[in-house]
Amino acid sequence: MEPQCKKRKTRTLGTFTWEVMPVLSDEKLCEVELVEAFAAPIINKKQTSYLIKQLASLYPLNNLPHIKRVRTCRDKSDHPLEIIICLLRDIPNRKLSLSDLFREGKADGIGLGEPFQVKIPAYQPLTRFQFETASQHWPTTFRENKQVTDALQGHLFNTEEKAKMQTFMEKAIEVANFGKKMGMEPVGAVIVNPATDEIVAVGHDCRNGPNPLLHAVMVCIDLVAYGQGGGAFNHNKYPYCYFKTVESFPGDYAINIGKSLLPSDDRSLRGTTVNGLPYICTGYDLYVSREPCVMCAMALVHSRIRRVFYATPSPDGALGTKYKIHTKKDLNHHYDVFKGLMEDECQFLLS
Amino acid sequence: MGEGGGFRPPEQHEREQWMETALSMAKEALENGEVPVGCLMVYRNEILGQGRNEVNETKNATRHAEMVAIDQVLEWCHQRDRDQKEVFEQVVLYVTVEPCIMCAAALRLLNIPLVVYGCENERFGGCGSVLNISKDDLQQTGTPFQCIGGYRANEAVELLKTFYKAENPNAPKSKVRKKQ
Repeated sequence: MEPQCKKRKTRTLGTFTWEVMPVLSDEKLCEVELVEAFAAPIINKKQTSYLIKQLASLYPLNNLPHIKRVRTCRDKSDHPLEIIICLLRDIPNRKLSLSDLFREGKADGIGLGEPFQVKIPAYQPLTRFQFETASQHWPTTFRENKQVTDALQGHLFNTEEKAKMQTFMEKAIEVANFGKKMGMEPVGAVIVNPATDEIVAVGHDCRNGPNPLLHAVMVCIDLVAYGQGGGAFNHNKYPYCYFKTVESFPGDYAINIGKSLLPSDDRSLRGTTVNGLPYICTGYDLYVSREPCVMCAMALVHSRIRRVFYATPSPDGALGTKYKIHTKKDLNHHYDVFKGLMEDECQFLLS
Repeated sequence: MGEGGGFRPPEQHEREQWMETALSMAKEALENGEVPVGCLMVYRNEILGQGRNEVNETKNATRHAEMVAIDQVLEWCHQRDRDQKEVFEQVVLYVTVEPCIMCAAALRLLNIPLVVYGCENERFGGCGSVLNISKDDLQQTGTPFQCIGGYRANEAVELLKTFYKAENPNAPKSKVRKKQ
């Protein structure tokens, strides 16, 4: 895995005029939150393990499992190590004397120096940027998700993948233009099976027709249903909206489509197929020219979409602008969202 | 909020009466192996649309009871050459379960002024349980609507419990975290 990632980073962006950015949860994007704590230098290094044990029972720091209790001090010559004693909020009058802490032994005999206040990270960092900021305050553990790091640095997709993504978004733009000529909102959407790179459904916005809820995403979801032998709307009036019929579907095909960006959520793709047939939009990717509204974003949760790529944000958008429905913890399905794919072209579409 | 066009909010006894009908629709859904949610769209004391969940039949996960009923109202307007916007602005939705986030957004987009519902929808609710789409400030997403919850809530919950005990035979293995 390692060398592949490195290779990817050095690769140039090719000829693409756009860049996709992941739309991460607020927790991943927020500033590092800090809490105040007392720490003290360890003057007598040999006491370290004794101190760790004592402090762990006196002040267990239960809600801060990511904090490393002891840090090394390279720049301070008089003591090599410092240790967290407790949080400021753990002591009632915010005054700390070592003799209160270690009643039995004598404080200086224990090997601690004068306590001082520090700010330490309140939560485990979720991104490399948060980790780097957090570490400047106090060492913490960090389980890096390479894909999130790559995504944030714009390195998640290689040239070949980007070329494919551009093709799909071009299709969405093309169908948006067809819709526009029919008096529709210029929004287009394409649903792709990433296991085969096949387009499963193509649809444009139809809200200016008889049904004001037929946004491009809703049209595509229904076209996927048609492909699976279902469907609810009559799309005959819209020749540019079409689907691919799935007659026989190799059972494991849709399952091996790689890891998702947020593997902390349990989203194993088992259950992608039912009786060898695909189940709604499970495992599929959506390309849409502008950020979906609340209705469409939630429709995609219900449809178990895998990833969404959109070009431009919308004022009431629900995948980054007003809400981040795809990261909402209470909901039973989450998906990855990327924005900025062919943003200029899709902006032009709307103008 | 739509009161302009002669919209008269229903009296207490009317709400109870319509809710009774919505509950019987939910029971019908249960008998058909669909999530037991039933709803009615009432316009000037007349039912223009009634729906129950049709997700499995259509293989379209967005075919919730509300969406099904909305399509019937649209069809009603179409057949009588009535202005959709004018009609929806006077429609009351009666639904056994709080509308989900998607349906709440759809109701806003259609400018429906009032929703009377039974139990809360802790998993997907868009009228306060998970998000508050009914009230939030969304300039481009229709108009906010009023909600009155708690009508025959226990019965609505019981139907859901019965359904989830039996589980949905068409869905893939559930990863749903059940709320305790």
